[in-house]
Amino acid sequence: MPASIKKTMPHIVLMAYVVIILFPFVFVVFSSLKENNVEISQAPFAFPKALYFQNYVDAWVQASIDVYFWNSAYLGISSAVLGVLLAAGTSFALTRMKFKFTSKLIYQVILLGMLIPGNVLFIAQYILMMDLHILGKHWALFWPYTAGALPFSVLLISAFMKAIPAELEEAAIIDGLSAPGLFARIVLPLTVPALVTVFIINFLGNWNEYLLASFFISKDALRTLPTGMVGFRDAYQTNYALICTGIVFSVTPVLVLYAFLQEQIIEGITAGSVKG
Amino acid sequence: MKNALRNPASYLMFIIPTIALYGLFFLYPMFSSVVYAFTNWNGLEETKFIGMANFETAFGDSNFRSAIINNMYFIVFSVGLQVPIIVLLALLISNVKRFKGFYKTTVFIPSILSTSVIGILWGFIYDPDIGPISAALKFFGIEPIYWLADSKWAMIALLLTNAWQWVGFFIVLILAAILAIPKDIDEAAAIDGANGTQRAWYLTIPLIKPIISVVVMLSIAGAMRVVDIVLVMTNGGPAGTTEVMASYMVNKAIKYGDYGYGMALSIIIFAFALVFTAIYQLTLGKTERIEY
Amino acid sequence: MKRNVMVILTLILAMSTMLAACGGKNNNNEASSPAASPSASPSAPASESASPSEETVEPFTVSLRHIQIGEPQKFRKAILDEVVKRSEAEVPGVKFELDGIEDAVNRFTKLPAEMAAGNPPKIFDLFGGNADALKYAKAGRLLDLTPILDELGIKDKFLNVFGQFTLDGKIYGLPIGGSVEGVFYNTEIFQANDLNAPTTWDDLVKAADALKAKGITPFAMGSQAAWVPNMLVGTLVGRFANGFPNGIVTGEVKWNSPEVVGALSLYQDWVKNGYFTKGELGKSYDDMLNDFAAGKAGMMFDGSWRSSAFKEGAVAASMTGKVGFVALPALPNAAGDQTSLNANFSNGYGFSSDLDENELKAVKSFIKNLYNDEMQLRGLLEDGVLPSMKLSDESLAKVTDPVVKQVLDVMKAAGSTFVHFDAIAQKPVYSETELQLQKLIAGKATAQEFGDAVQKVQEVENAK
Repeated sequence: MPASIKKTMPHIVLMAYVVIILFPFVFVVFSSLKENNVEISQAPFAFPKALYFQNYVDAWVQASIDVYFWNSAYLGISSAVLGVLLAAGTSFALTRMKFKFTSKLIYQVILLGMLIPGNVLFIAQYILMMDLHILGKHWALFWPYTAGALPFSVLLISAFMKAIPAELEEAAIIDGLSAPGLFARIVLPLTVPALVTVFIINFLGNWNEYLLASFFISKDALRTLPTGMVGFRDAYQTNYALICTGIVFSVTPVLVLYAFLQEQIIEGITAGSVKG
Repeated sequence: MKNALRNPASYLMFIIPTIALYGLFFLYPMFSSVVYAFTNWNGLEETKFIGMANFETAFGDSNFRSAIINNMYFIVFSVGLQVPIIVLLALLISNVKRFKGFYKTTVFIPSILSTSVIGILWGFIYDPDIGPISAALKFFGIEPIYWLADSKWAMIALLLTNAWQWVGFFIVLILAAILAIPKDIDEAAAIDGANGTQRAWYLTIPLIKPIISVVVMLSIAGAMRVVDIVLVMTNGGPAGTTEVMASYMVNKAIKYGDYGYGMALSIIIFAFALVFTAIYQLTLGKTERIEY
Repeated sequence: MKRNVMVILTLILAMSTMLAACGGKNNNNEASSPAASPSASPSAPASESASPSEETVEPFTVSLRHIQIGEPQKFRKAILDEVVKRSEAEVPGVKFELDGIEDAVNRFTKLPAEMAAGNPPKIFDLFGGNADALKYAKAGRLLDLTPILDELGIKDKFLNVFGQFTLDGKIYGLPIGGSVEGVFYNTEIFQANDLNAPTTWDDLVKAADALKAKGITPFAMGSQAAWVPNMLVGTLVGRFANGFPNGIVTGEVKWNSPEVVGALSLYQDWVKNGYFTKGELGKSYDDMLNDFAAGKAGMMFDGSWRSSAFKEGAVAASMTGKVGFVALPALPNAAGDQTSLNANFSNGYGFSSDLDENELKAVKSFIKNLYNDEMQLRGLLEDGVLPSMKLSDESLAKVTDPVVKQVLDVMKAAGSTFVHFDAIAQKPVYSETELQLQKLIAGKATAQEFGDAVQKVQEVENAK
């Protein structure tokens, strides 16, 4: 008897936590299929009386959620890719090439960046974007996103690269490979797991970023999902069903992506936390 | 034979793009704009050098002081309350046999959502008229609570939402460390007669201390940095009760156009973050890496 | 050999990265460099060598920031869409890029940031007064519209509405219409409860108490954005203190004077009495309308522009024929002018000072199509916006909407008018009133503390 309680207790606690995690989603999905605020408020937990899909049509037509989604996706991916490549190259030079003193120095300076809370730079970056005349364009997000991820990326990728045995590269150099060749042919393929991890972490960061996106971008057509959704809420703040539909639209693609990649994402973060 | 790895040209080629980007978008804005903190620059009118006036204003500014205190709430809540829960849940997940993968996958979900979407989502949950919490309270005959509109509750509501978003992420980090502990250590302890709780307390927790320390560091950093969730959910309201340092800085700079003052606030926030991480690293966070 | 190719490839990659960075910069310089020149001589567009023949105009875009988002604003948005359509048909190559955001976000966050950065949209929603239009005009960010009005010959067609947009005799913004602020009340609820229309102070207070006793909120309120309750505060202070709001910048009226504090105390008493929506600090401006329309509240203090919500096909169509509008009644024993009415021609459009030739053409066409008898009348009839231009009596007689008629009556009965204090107060002062008002509502500041705190900021600003 006590043994079975012992076995089920953890599950009760964990299931309760899972319910806390999932219940907002259920509420939002239900609400998005209800006809109006009255139905939502009278029975917030109840399954919709009739599935009212018109909300989905309305939200799709009235909000440019697809536009926001693609903006976020391409900005998030492109800047994460460039950031990972740059960080990989730099990590390679810092950990494998024979400029020990300079490397140490550069490494320390880059790590300093980890200490700066991102939002402190907000005004300064705003001024910089003004000076570069890229305020209001996607470049104004692309560069800070890319640059902002570098310190962490270099830290993590360096940790992986240090662990690559020296014999491999010695053999490669005897075969006549240059440093870039060594990097591209030998080191990069060996570091792919770390690169994927860093890519995903950076991508999630970019995908979720709100502060810069809401102040550096003005045009509706250029907005990213986080700011676009806030704008959508502001516009339809009293139509709860429609806003719930907006949330469903914006969340579903990420959830689908997560469903496919969850193994990779969690393994990546896991590996990163143990190694880093 | 190692000439290839001593080639300065390739070295520079690998280093320069990163340094250039990092320098331009990190170091340069930081250093170039520090000077604005000593001016009354507002983007529209002529700029005057005003010495330390902005810093004096900041420390005499009761609104900013209450924003600092709100950041402290975030620190206390996320370190004092969230971390124990995170460790507990991670231990539970590591010990169950069935559904392990399911739990691991589910708890991480909130961390992949954008903060602004979470803010909007929870705005609903907290809604006094149509929100499910208020409906549940009504069921028990309790008057609805105006979570985000009542200065007594708004901060708690924010802290809960913030916890909802991040707890799962940290659970996965800690879980990784627990699962990395070699099985035989645990088994040896079990043979010696230690029960589950004892093993967790005397064995697992000491072994994962380094990663717990990382989680605490990240929590402190996160608490100093928090801004998105505040801007989306309450924008510092009601009546400034949920204003944090960063949201106050952003509002001052943008809404009032007072960039000079905003920059001074930025410097103060940076100083705070530096001091807090330093204090933690020098005292509680001082752990050596444990080799298994 | 292979090695070199690799090096070159990687170098190219690195270079292109840098070039892309510079590219962004250069492109933009080109786009903004011809900015300063043409605004001085708007009538000489076709003279320079740059103009190819009219037919081969490159397509170009003109950014247009508006605040007509969401259901309650749909009539205004329809008018704007029509104007944009006409101008796009009229000016070859132009495409207006509409960017709609929430009113307060535009006015207090987005536009100030863009102004400071020097890159506002080409056409944008603009408020008049010291904290908005005049401040931007001083900094050279706004297009001087005087020559355009002359060229189009419409200057004299406007009523006397440019007060909040004029600096050194030049006009920097065009109010789209006017509004007065007063009390909307639900006639059905008032009748059902045997209440007199709130035309006298006694009746107003009596109605509030009676509604409260019945479990109906006396006044719908949404104080999440503090400009909403600030409307009532502004009028109340005007009832108590002579010379408000203009006197605050001259030092003639002080925020912590007994009169102003008296008005604030009255407001706080109302809060404490439960006259406003519960949880108002979490309610938006649209929530306020919803609560009123749903019959949850008997009254609301709002601008006359809200009248359009109560007509057929609008968000609060259920209220058609059940809405009364009166001025805030005269207060017994208060020092201010008791018949004065808060009236504003404060919201309209402004234009960036850095327009190129094509953009200027588009802007002129936009002004021509928006500011004319037809659109002004449409605004009045469809949207309840009081015209900012002179309409014939014949046109005015077309008004059938019962609420708009009451608004016009209220205007006729007013002894004098005064503007909303956000047009007078400097930005930091106004922002401080918003913060202090929310504190007052939350019970975290007294009326005296409110007055003292705002006066402190006021004196700093007045000294500048």
